[in-house]
Amino acid sequence: MKKIKISWLALKNLKRKFIRTFVLLLLVAVVTGTLLSATIFISGMQNALRIGTYRLGADVLVVPEKNESQAKAALLSGEPTSFYMDGKVYDKVKDVEGVKRASTQLFIKPTSFTCCYNVETFLVAFDPSTDFTVTPWLQKKLKKPLADDEVIAGSAMPLMTDDIIPFFGTPFNVAGTLEPTGMKFFDQSIFMTMQAAFEMAEKSKGRSVQPLELEKGKISAVLVQVEDGFTPERVAIRIEHQIEGIKAIASDEVTSTVRKQLAGLLKGILLISAILWVLALLMTGFSFYMIVNERQRELGLLRAMGATKAHVFRLIITEAVILSLAGGIAGIVAGGGLLSVSKTVITQNLKLPYLLPSLPVLSELAAGALIFAVITGLLASLLPAVFASRMEPYDAIRKGE
Amino acid sequence: MIEVSDIVKSYSIGGQALKAVDHASFTVQQGEIISVIGHSGSGKTTLLSLVGGLTKPDSGKVIVDGTDIWSLDDNSRSHFRNRNMSFIYQFSSLIPTLTSLENILLPTAFGDFPGDVRAYAEELIERVGLKEKTNAYPSHLSGGQQRRIAIARAFINRPSVVLADEPTGDLDEEAEQDIIRLFSEMNSALKTTFIIVTHNKEIAGQAARQLSMSNGILTGAA
Repeated sequence: MKKIKISWLALKNLKRKFIRTFVLLLLVAVVTGTLLSATIFISGMQNALRIGTYRLGADVLVVPEKNESQAKAALLSGEPTSFYMDGKVYDKVKDVEGVKRASTQLFIKPTSFTCCYNVETFLVAFDPSTDFTVTPWLQKKLKKPLADDEVIAGSAMPLMTDDIIPFFGTPFNVAGTLEPTGMKFFDQSIFMTMQAAFEMAEKSKGRSVQPLELEKGKISAVLVQVEDGFTPERVAIRIEHQIEGIKAIASDEVTSTVRKQLAGLLKGILLISAILWVLALLMTGFSFYMIVNERQRELGLLRAMGATKAHVFRLIITEAVILSLAGGIAGIVAGGGLLSVSKTVITQNLKLPYLLPSLPVLSELAAGALIFAVITGLLASLLPAVFASRMEPYDAIRKGE
Repeated sequence: MIEVSDIVKSYSIGGQALKAVDHASFTVQQGEIISVIGHSGSGKTTLLSLVGGLTKPDSGKVIVDGTDIWSLDDNSRSHFRNRNMSFIYQFSSLIPTLTSLENILLPTAFGDFPGDVRAYAEELIERVGLKEKTNAYPSHLSGGQQRRIAIARAFINRPSVVLADEPTGDLDEEAEQDIIRLFSEMNSALKTTFIIVTHNKEIAGQAARQLSMSNGILTGAA
């Protein structure tokens, strides 16, 4: 030890009233932790929505009119569903003005996951000859067309490449698994070709206890990509106008439900965070005012020893920074932990997609939370620090008597 | 050398102006020990604070080693105190969370102190006879020991002036004599100027020169 440093002195001062320091630290930690976990949570849902919408690849989804809500539920929360309509809808849709490309898909709800796991799954069959949503993505990963005895498994499925998985009595070879998207529609789905789905249905009559009732030529949905210059909403209206018994859902319409839920959630979280923040600010500010008041004589003595107004100001501010920094770090650790524990419960209850943001984004959010914590400490201690630094040394020494 | 000329300090109490120090003037030579005696409320502590640059006079001058301390701005006055002056108080002025050594080193947080300050702090603690208490906290020291550590701290900046306000108050007779002996030793060894404010006639009588203060008026000044 050579000279005494102000930061060291500040640390010693904080240790003096351990319980008060601990309570203030806890308060900053709660605010920081709440804010961070809320931000990560919202960011995770936005992330999932962005990736999921991109993966969906279609601007408009055409489904049977009576199955609109089931289709939306399937896309948003991956709720397995089965509904069918006549395959001729596809021919009509592709002729509607503004439709650039169209492709069909079949949604099949398996009776049970017959392999060995009790995981809810969803079968999606696509037509490789017209598909523009799944195929480009498969080509990139698989680098070969998907054979009729092969499937691709979503990231949440407990399967690995080359596993064999039976559906309705037909075994399929897992050709690959997908990266997580945060949307159950992708993460808990098994993708197969349309041909494979019809063959599986045919074979199920003899092999499966509960055969798959699927007539050849039926489809569940037509996925549409619109031409440049046309909006998905406009094309959806045209499709509905020209084809009876169907519902054309623009992709924005699907995500807007989630966005509305998100906005509501965000408002609630922001309100709670703001209340907590104001509370923390007031309590920390009041505590620092008390600290300064209690230590008036001591601060006066420091001035007598040659401390300038700036030294006194720095001492109080440094105490606040150390406190808020420690509280911020504790909050980040606790908030992160809490989120990882409660994530599944929250997303299942809210039926919202969720994908943990990438490590750089998480680091940015944590750094932001830490800066926020320090700013809170600085703001709270600013007035007491100014008050402390402006005291006349002699008055401070006398008032402390 | 300290030159105090015609210094005045008033306080307003209940709407009435009360002169705590009323046109006081005196000079103290370098290395001299003087005492200011007076009853409680006579204005002697205020006088000490005016000389030490801790409270601003209404009028008058305080020149310490050629520097008019009240013509300096607050920062410069703080630096001047840090380099040239020290205070010793009657009350426990030690920081409870710092050890004896750390308390002695405290003024080094606020200025440039050349050389090995730790070695000098250890020398000071030895000089006040508390080497074995180097790492003890104030709560483990008696009142007399705490005062001796405060005296050691007062010398860490090698001051030219030490201003002591009732330095032996609350101490028993033996501890009292210890403190006075320490002052004499420091004065002989370092040629430090002392102004000791006290209400104790015996202590005041041990100074080379004695001033009296009553109702803000200083008498006996040469």
